Amino acid sequence: MTHTEAFFGYPRSCGRSGIRNHLLVLNCTGLTDAAARRVAAALPGTVFAGTMYGMGMVGEDAAFHTAALTGMATHPNCGAVLLIGADRTRLDQMIAACQAADRPFAALGLDDTGHDAYLLSQRAISRGAQLLRDLSAMRPEPCPISDLFLAMECGLSDPSSGLAANPLLGQVADWLVDAGGTVVLGESIEWLGTEDALARRAGSPEIGARLKRAVADRLALADAAGLDLLGTNPNAANIKAGLSTIEEKASGAVLKAGSRPIQSVLAYAAPPETTGLHLMDAPSYSPESLTGFVASGAQMVLFTTGLGNSYCSAIAPTLKVTANAGTAQKLPCQIDFDASGAFTGRSLAQLTIDLVAQVTATASGQRTFGEIMGEGAESISRFGAAI
Amino acid sequence: MTIPAYQIHPDDMVAYMLREAPRGATVATPNRTLLARADIPVFHKIALHDIAAGDTVWRGGWPIGHATRNIPAGAHVHTHNLASAYSKTRKIT
Repeated sequence: MTHTEAFFGYPRSCGRSGIRNHLLVLNCTGLTDAAARRVAAALPGTVFAGTMYGMGMVGEDAAFHTAALTGMATHPNCGAVLLIGADRTRLDQMIAACQAADRPFAALGLDDTGHDAYLLSQRAISRGAQLLRDLSAMRPEPCPISDLFLAMECGLSDPSSGLAANPLLGQVADWLVDAGGTVVLGESIEWLGTEDALARRAGSPEIGARLKRAVADRLALADAAGLDLLGTNPNAANIKAGLSTIEEKASGAVLKAGSRPIQSVLAYAAPPETTGLHLMDAPSYSPESLTGFVASGAQMVLFTTGLGNSYCSAIAPTLKVTANAGTAQKLPCQIDFDASGAFTGRSLAQLTIDLVAQVTATASGQRTFGEIMGEGAESISRFGAAI
Repeated sequence: MTIPAYQIHPDDMVAYMLREAPRGATVATPNRTLLARADIPVFHKIALHDIAAGDTVWRGGWPIGHATRNIPAGAHVHTHNLASAYSKTRKIT
């Protein structure tokens, strides 16, 4: 076994293997947020995620929210799930999802404790301790690289992102697709100006039309809000760093997608139906963007930055890459991979070999700085008003 | 002292400074040298040719906007002279 053929992960009875074996404390309703955080804090080594919302969401907003919670509850990196919620309706939905995915879980609701949140926490801590003990008996095993599902993100970009860091991610995307794995890229507004080129790579005319419509819809959203993209995307920090227009930023950003055919345009938080390269029609702000990828099943995020960006997913280890030597030097406990050699003669091929090695090491358990420093959160996007 | 600039594609109209260039500095890409007409911060763009107002500016095979005024070779190219095709406030002056 070489490091580019396999990694040490946690096979699941359903779906892809995990690259971590978290106990996820999943807060399923906004009412129980504090109680669920209390539970996670009492059980070191757990990962906390969830929602601040609950009843009253409607239409596609409600559907995306349910999809995102389901995706997190059944995520490959979570060996077991502690479901916490106020009402049985939402809990029963998540219980069904865990059962369908054959994922060990315990579920505790306020309805069952006479609406005593403290009693809920006590019971949940006890159940969580049992689940953690079970998880601790598991050992990582060799898993095929084709089990990997990587998400590609950029945040606080500068021109070095589009010149070197994003093309490097594109090489890693091509490597993984060729190895039978799965890749997703989101941030639809950052496809702007490149839609025709992306559409030519789409697996069918319908997929091409869908990705073009996704960009047009985001642009219409900005127009309807009376927003000029200049100042929003690129934002003030991007502009100060040297990015002048959305076209300049976008044509550098989409290089993260590499060069392979586009298999589908996913809705927010939707799991891809095939391996290969997928786009997700989603907001570009990193917290919502990353949670969309994670909920769709991505086990790891490759995240390029120009100026530095500390944000990480809680569930999926988030590997930070910069090609800005100054940023790598300034942020030694944030940047996991320094790609600035691209500007001093190191070839893209050599950098790709190095980053692939780091991706497989991370998949096999090496921690990212984000994990070590305790960064990490999940934030489910909202798509409309609630009742 | 020559300051390096990074050019992606031979047809590019701009290159990216790999170090800050003070006004008057000699800037070199693999294909040419030129004089910086302004202080240009690291990773900001320098015009490789004279660019006429209204012209589309190409980089890496992609249009990245259009010149809002005449841009001489060696000038700093940024929001003061380059605008997005998607900007509602775009003006040719």
